[in-house]
Amino acid sequence: MERHLILEDGTVFSGQGFGAPATTFGEIIFDTATSGYQETITNPIYDGQMIVFAMPVVGADGIHAEAYESTTPKIRGVVVHDLAEVSTNRQRRMNLDRFLQHHNIPGLYEVDTRKLIRHLRETGPQKATIVDVVDDHAVDQLVATVLTNKQVQNTATPKAYANPGHGFHIIVIDFGLKHGILRVLGDYDANVTVLPYTTTVDEVLTLDPDGIILSTGPGNPEDLPDSVLTLIRVLQTKMPLLGLGLGHELLALANGAEIQALPAEYHGMNHPIQEIISQQLFYARQGRGYVIDEDSLDGKKLFVTHRDLVDGSIQGIRLRDNPAFSVQFFPDGAPGPLEANGIFADFFETVADYVQKNS
Amino acid sequence: MANKVVLDQDSMQRALTRITYEILERNKGGQNLILVGIKTRGEYLAHRIADRLEQLEQVQIPVMAIDVTNYRDDHLDSGDDLGLDPAEKLNIANQNIVLVDDVLFTGRTTRAALDALIQIGRPQAIALAVLVDRGHRELPIRADFVGKNIPTAQNEKIKVKVKEFDGEDSVEIVH
Repeated sequence: MERHLILEDGTVFSGQGFGAPATTFGEIIFDTATSGYQETITNPIYDGQMIVFAMPVVGADGIHAEAYESTTPKIRGVVVHDLAEVSTNRQRRMNLDRFLQHHNIPGLYEVDTRKLIRHLRETGPQKATIVDVVDDHAVDQLVATVLTNKQVQNTATPKAYANPGHGFHIIVIDFGLKHGILRVLGDYDANVTVLPYTTTVDEVLTLDPDGIILSTGPGNPEDLPDSVLTLIRVLQTKMPLLGLGLGHELLALANGAEIQALPAEYHGMNHPIQEIISQQLFYARQGRGYVIDEDSLDGKKLFVTHRDLVDGSIQGIRLRDNPAFSVQFFPDGAPGPLEANGIFADFFETVADYVQKNS
Repeated sequence: MANKVVLDQDSMQRALTRITYEILERNKGGQNLILVGIKTRGEYLAHRIADRLEQLEQVQIPVMAIDVTNYRDDHLDSGDDLGLDPAEKLNIANQNIVLVDDVLFTGRTTRAALDALIQIGRPQAIALAVLVDRGHRELPIRADFVGKNIPTAQNEKIKVKVKEFDGEDSVEIVH
């Protein structure tokens, strides 16, 4: 059935509906990666957003148990050029169409995604809706809709839970944790406790952790309460700390830097990233709508450790006085290259060192 | 029996990177810093740390290499020849020295290096950075910066290779 994508600026793109026949509203962005649609669709950082895939054909791999990045996808719509037909005859086999139906998320295919992405590159992210009929009512509804800025609250765990192991005790502060991080921590046999982002310093320290991870998450870091920054400012002086994605932006904010919204968000894995200290280049999955403002960064307090070589943006920072560091990209892969997962090895070496010196 | 690789090229590079950040953290920047590499491989490692400091801070940290063979207490011809031209001797008075070696084992090499350094001058402080700490100390010495702790048996050997001297970067346990 023909359905339509309406953008806030009035532009309409038409295609064929798949997934759920629902009408949804969200912020539309585009993804330029050539693989990993399931991980991207289930990544909690996309809470409240619709994704256009630049990859011409999406869906050919079906949906797999090992590729979930969250239990429930939080995105509001999927727009593709061509939807691959995948047989679901075999028992337990799921395809993208059925997956989206199940989660009440609409999809649109046979869309001119190249034109749409060129348009979004110029305008930046926009409010959008997927509807059956384009009329004044649909446009009015879109204009009147206010998108939430409570994505972290919507996504992150409200309660503490454990992912036990036999190794170091790592506390993950959850802002919208993707499963890839837990998988890597499992590889290190870490004894993981995931805490809500509303946790207090006392609650963290009482659990006697060996290291802290500030997780990835959706939305604008400045929409979070100041208590989060206070928590980070204390924890960063107590033990090794690693920030990822939104956690990286929060570490920067907690240390006096400012965050800017990007004119067009970048979601992909084709930008080379350089580690400044070693001059080494690598690729990693990125998903970012915000970036640290270069001029606001206090060089007496923070090192810039990584840079994106395409747009020059800051991709990693480290405190001068404490073993606390963070990266904007996703070193866990899922989806994407694993070239940067040495970041986790660095973190665990730092933790081992800290534990040895404090035992 | 086959050798077991405990650090490959990538993890060796990352260990040196981490040590560099820790040196800056401890020293509050690069001021008054001198790196002293213990020959043979410690010298190359010291230069690599200096390269990293330059990339990160745009500062050139002096590097000196010393040969402590003649200072070892288990060496028959103990003497005081550092194997240094006078021109290579940096003024270390009141400087913060980081001694760099590949492996920390009994601590006797480190002790010899401390003797040698103190003969040259009186530094403000001396710290020790090692790529590998394999345990089995015979002297009260510990490293301030450790790339990797590798618990070993007394009779095992640790073989560190550096690209500049051995053609490749690796750390292996030799049985």
